[in-house]
Amino acid sequence: MNPLTATALGKRYRARWAVRDCDFTVPGGKVVALVGPNGAGKSTLLRMAAGIVRPTTGEISAFGTPVRGRIHPDVSFLAQDRSLYRDLTVRELARACAAMNDRWSADRVREVLGLLAGVDHDAKVGTLSAGALTQVAIAMALGRLPRLLLLDEPLSDLDPLARDETLRIIMTEVAERGTTVVMSSHLLSDLREVCDHLLLIDEGRVQVDGDIEEVLAQHRILVGPAADESAVEGTLINATRTERQATLLVREARPAPKGWAGTEPDLESLVMGYLRASRERRSST
Amino acid sequence: MIWVSWRRQRAQLLTLLGLLVVGAGVITLLRSSMIDSLTSAGLTGCVSVPLDQCTAPAAAAKSFAEAWANPLDIARMSILFGPALIGVFIGAPLFARELEQGTHVLAFTQSVSRTRWMVSKLVMALVPALVVLAVLQSMVSWWLSAAGTLGPLMNGPFTALNFSIGHVSPAGYALFAFALGTFIGVMSRRTLVAMTAGLGAFVVVRFALAGLVDRLVPAQRVEVSPDKELTVYTDGSLVLDHGYLDAAGQPVAQDKVNALTAACKSVPQGSGTAESQQEFLACLPKSGLAKRYADFIPESQAWQVHLVDAAIFGALAVLLLAGTTWALRRQS
Repeated sequence: MNPLTATALGKRYRARWAVRDCDFTVPGGKVVALVGPNGAGKSTLLRMAAGIVRPTTGEISAFGTPVRGRIHPDVSFLAQDRSLYRDLTVRELARACAAMNDRWSADRVREVLGLLAGVDHDAKVGTLSAGALTQVAIAMALGRLPRLLLLDEPLSDLDPLARDETLRIIMTEVAERGTTVVMSSHLLSDLREVCDHLLLIDEGRVQVDGDIEEVLAQHRILVGPAADESAVEGTLINATRTERQATLLVREARPAPKGWAGTEPDLESLVMGYLRASRERRSST
Repeated sequence: MIWVSWRRQRAQLLTLLGLLVVGAGVITLLRSSMIDSLTSAGLTGCVSVPLDQCTAPAAAAKSFAEAWANPLDIARMSILFGPALIGVFIGAPLFARELEQGTHVLAFTQSVSRTRWMVSKLVMALVPALVVLAVLQSMVSWWLSAAGTLGPLMNGPFTALNFSIGHVSPAGYALFAFALGTFIGVMSRRTLVAMTAGLGAFVVVRFALAGLVDRLVPAQRVEVSPDKELTVYTDGSLVLDHGYLDAAGQPVAQDKVNALTAACKSVPQGSGTAESQQEFLACLPKSGLAKRYADFIPESQAWQVHLVDAAIFGALAVLLLAGTTWALRRQS
């Protein structure tokens, strides 16, 4: 059973669709990068998967069970604002989370918190740094012993060291327990190290969905003379042009024609190409 | 889950406990000091009898009543305002603050159900507040009864203030204020909005429904001949209607009553004498005003009025709590 499946999923806030006609499947054991510009619907998508937001249309299922108004027992969610009880100490917070769950591993929480040298267990949660706050929130999410971990911007606001630590916690979890992870982020370079699956959404719709290696292999960045673009075959995603030279991101490209140099894009330039394309589409309408 | 609710509302519960201890201490001290001054003024016997039967000097009773009117009024006011405070400071922020700060997401993404989360928060907030209010209310009434007819109880249980702080009425108001606060809190998702709008709505509803309860309890009617006094005005009863009946027992319209009594007043020469008063009273039945009547609820039935009052506000509270549950379950 796939950890996460969306069918014709949509969420409308008043007149605006935050997520629209989304169909995708997250296969088990993957670490999925959920990327898109601000306001693309990433948070809404994750909140629907966690049962906090109700879909307007369609359905999202976790492990084959439709998510309706409550989170699946095998799913954990890290909210973008971290939503912890800030007037409790770390120790009390762990106790509170334990009390709110049927299945709970205090050992797992202690283990994850133990990885963090700097966190004082008797400090109020509200006094923690942004990095420590995120790591405590992840520890609480892992206490539920999830099989699917939904992380909304786990790396935002973190300094490079905290980012590295946080990624290490997540990767340890994946390696030890085979947990499926869906994480949204802007930090493409960090995602590349840990993620093996890409879900790119913009304007509430899925633009790219696939294993990163395959997706990258499907695309070519072609650089060649601006005057000779018609020679290029394939689906043009995005082009940046100077007077003499054009840089094209092409899907399903044929071998590069004469005079053109073709390379496989890295994740960052691929995502940038798609985001630029959708922004151009938006500004032209 | 109970531990979570207790821990999150600990500061508020300790504040309530502090209020209870301080309130109870102050009331006990003031009450014993008041009893001392009753004893030293020789007024102890006057507490349980009507004022005109009091054997002590009138000046002593008067100065006692003046000296203690303010403390007793403050005590009564604190019970009067208790429900509104519970609504504003306990009911309104209960869910509004969670929704405003996003901490409801933490609870909603654990395995505890939304309903159980809500119920445990409601119970942990409401029950201690009601207990504290009830204890302080009974302590205030214990104090008031020590002053007896020399204090505010002289006016009977139906004066607006005495009624508002008597029997189960404060509990009914508190329940309603609390439920109103939580409901507006869940709908607005703003603590400050819930506190202010909740207070405003509570005051409006309290005033709007103030007279309703009197009409829902069956009143008794007393009829006397015009030369007799009606005792219902002085025995603490709630008089809902009064006037004259004609010989057939039908109520006489007020303007007709005015005309007839004016006619009777003009018959005798000179007024103010005992004879003219007798002639006036004898004239009334002849002119068609056979009897005086009053519809009233006796003091002994005040508890029924309180029960109906609490039932009205309790029912509103239940509706609002059902609305809160519905809104939280579909919260997204």
